Amino acid sequence: MTIVVAYADTPPGHAAVTGAVAESREGEPVVIVPAVRGERSPEVGEVESRWPDLAGRVEVERGDLGDPADTVIQVAQRLDARLIVLGLRTRTPVGKLVFGSTAQRILLDATCPVLSVKPPVAAT
Amino acid sequence: MTDAAFSALASLADPSLLMMLAVGVVAGLVIGLIPGLGGTGAVAILLPITFGMDPEPALAMLIGALAVVHTSDTVAAVLLGAPGSASASVTMLDGYSMARQGQAKRALSLAFLSSMAGGLIGAVGLTLAIPLARPLVLSFGSPELFMLTILGVSLAAVLSRGNVVKGLTAGLLGLLLGLVGTSPTTAEERFSFGSLFLSDGISLVAVALGVFGLAEIASRVGQRRVSEKPVELSGGWGSGIREWLTHWTHVIRGALIGIWAGVLPGVGATAGTWLAYGQAVATAKDKRSFGKGDPRGIVGPESANNSVEAGDLIPTFLFGIPGGVPSAMLLGMLLTYGIQPGPAIVTDHLDLMYLIVWAFAIASVAGAFLCFLATGSLAKLTKVPFAVLGPGLLVVMLLGAFQEGGQLGDLWVMVALGVVGFFLKATGMPRAPFLIGFVLAIPMERYYYLTASLYDGASWVARPGVLVFAALLVVPVLWSLVKRLRRASGAADDGHRDEHESDEDSVDDLEGSLARTPWSLAVAVIAVLIFAGALWVSGSFSAEASLMPRLVALGGLVAAAVLTWQELRARRDRARQDDVADVEETPGGSGTTMLATRVAPKVDARALARRHDLVIAMRTFTAMAAFLVLVMLGGYLAATLVFTPLFLLYAARTRPRTAIIYTLVLGAVLMALPSLLPVDLPLGLLQ
Repeated sequence: MTIVVAYADTPPGHAAVTGAVAESREGEPVVIVPAVRGERSPEVGEVESRWPDLAGRVEVERGDLGDPADTVIQVAQRLDARLIVLGLRTRTPVGKLVFGSTAQRILLDATCPVLSVKPPVAAT
Repeated sequence: MTDAAFSALASLADPSLLMMLAVGVVAGLVIGLIPGLGGTGAVAILLPITFGMDPEPALAMLIGALAVVHTSDTVAAVLLGAPGSASASVTMLDGYSMARQGQAKRALSLAFLSSMAGGLIGAVGLTLAIPLARPLVLSFGSPELFMLTILGVSLAAVLSRGNVVKGLTAGLLGLLLGLVGTSPTTAEERFSFGSLFLSDGISLVAVALGVFGLAEIASRVGQRRVSEKPVELSGGWGSGIREWLTHWTHVIRGALIGIWAGVLPGVGATAGTWLAYGQAVATAKDKRSFGKGDPRGIVGPESANNSVEAGDLIPTFLFGIPGGVPSAMLLGMLLTYGIQPGPAIVTDHLDLMYLIVWAFAIASVAGAFLCFLATGSLAKLTKVPFAVLGPGLLVVMLLGAFQEGGQLGDLWVMVALGVVGFFLKATGMPRAPFLIGFVLAIPMERYYYLTASLYDGASWVARPGVLVFAALLVVPVLWSLVKRLRRASGAADDGHRDEHESDEDSVDDLEGSLARTPWSLAVAVIAVLIFAGALWVSGSFSAEASLMPRLVALGGLVAAAVLTWQELRARRDRARQDDVADVEETPGGSGTTMLATRVAPKVDARALARRHDLVIAMRTFTAMAAFLVLVMLGGYLAATLVFTPLFLLYAARTRPRTAIIYTLVLGAVLMALPSLLPVDLPLGLLQ
């Protein structure tokens, strides 16, 4: 089985990877999908040096679609993932209305369980 | 209502009309196969041919071409993986993958059928729009029409993708260009600098063909040849046809999105197609196969890009506000026939409206049918490198521009505007608002003076229609603010409905390649200088004639100054952090299909490619100028016979045999044209 992480280079995104590390079983592959439009996708080496637990079983996958939420779900469906992990950030209702939410779309559209995590309070 | 509809259908039984429709369809299909021309190219190339005709056959031909351009542009995308037009690049994502799995016929039949359905639904939308909008249109007076022209230009500027300031600057530049010539109210010459030629105003065909056609030639001549071998045309038509029937909901959804995108000015086929793809993905439960040959990824977008062209026609004919570039040219054509779109067309020319609807529907069906029959042989055309097509297109386009006024000056204007168009394209300035502004400049001024003389003071501002349009004007401004906020907010949760914005960049090599370089700064500064100059020159006009130029120049000055400031700030930021370049190189969602063919370019390679593009474009424009000099000396035919082989041998590097045959054929066509069509060849000094 596989775990898919919706990754962003932000505290919630890092919390998501940490959450995936904690959730994963021994040797279970973890696939990182960049979920921010226009952001550089992370190198496998960077991720491995930051989360040594993931060494040797982490992959980065970009998907075929433009929309980040669709991409995460597509990758999860293709790999038949057991779980999607995503990081949530604090949003006011107005902020949500104006900016839309990738996290919400993943939660609603995903066909497997989704684990959402928040970064430690100090980090936000 | 229905009487008019059926009498229009009966008039289509006239063999000469049907003939013109057929010519339009065939021309549209061929133009669709050639990369980079699209609907704009189709109308631009055919428009000059129609100058000697009655409005009915002329419209039948143009609509016929416009309706099918997006049917055949799929062929190159599916078989070569090289999109024939920007809007076909969406179909490429799934269509090319499908073709590589040996199911090219399945992909193509899905695409052709969806295109046909999109065209038909678009025609139905156009039909329904007439009775719905009729009472509305008839209640409009000159104040509403004036507001509509403003709305048209500003919506086009704001909704075109990318930077709003760039869109506004382009729109205002177009308005300014449209004001050149005799003022409609005082018969005073403006910006003509004493030239008799300029006092006639600048020809629409020259502007459209220059800014879009010639700029396209210059930017594509240097394009790499497609080295990949086309996928074999395998698989069966039948499976695709059966499968298409199961996806009928996607067809209808795609077509509705297309119509909506068409109605909005400045949102053209490209953006509409991406929207359709985005919604197909977003609403699909099982997203696994998108990008790897999913039929739903072909059906929706393909039906959208055909219905966009029908949607474009709705505001064009009913309100006189072009929804896109091709319809801006159609509008110009109607005006030359003295047919005023808007209220007049609904009351006096209703049969013409229905003729358009029928022509669109018939052409959609015939186009799809022809595509099924002829794809095997037509597909070879997509393999021809653009450099070889270049001189032929150039000769045809220049000949076209000559027809409107019969003056060589138009051709020089066209080449100059080609250079302008090239730089607009390369620095990421949208060109649609430019053309829409150009077309609407004179109507805007005329409606303003009608309004000012019919109503005393500012009482017209309080008319309900005017208030509604004023409110509508605010919406795009708010929308652009939201877009900006989204970008500024770090974008970890970027909006999820606008993928076309990031995806499009990866499709066209040149589009915006010069953005954020000294070149784009130079374009901004030149725009400032042009507006400042216009402001200064307009000081010498009489009060009535100077109002519009002054307003446009002032607005333009502000927009261009903001643009310059943005460019300067971007340059400063860039100097501070050099590694930003890394981030920009990964466009949002280029799929694995693209990654496979396109290796992420290094910064150096990009700068090199940029210089290469510029050099090629410069050479091409020089060649065009040289051609014009030859025309002035020896006449059109002689110039073509000298220019074409030289260009083919030295620029396109073809074999001598190809060059000779090509030249002879082109020469023969030019000899035969004047006797077949009402076309004049320019005469030289030596003739």
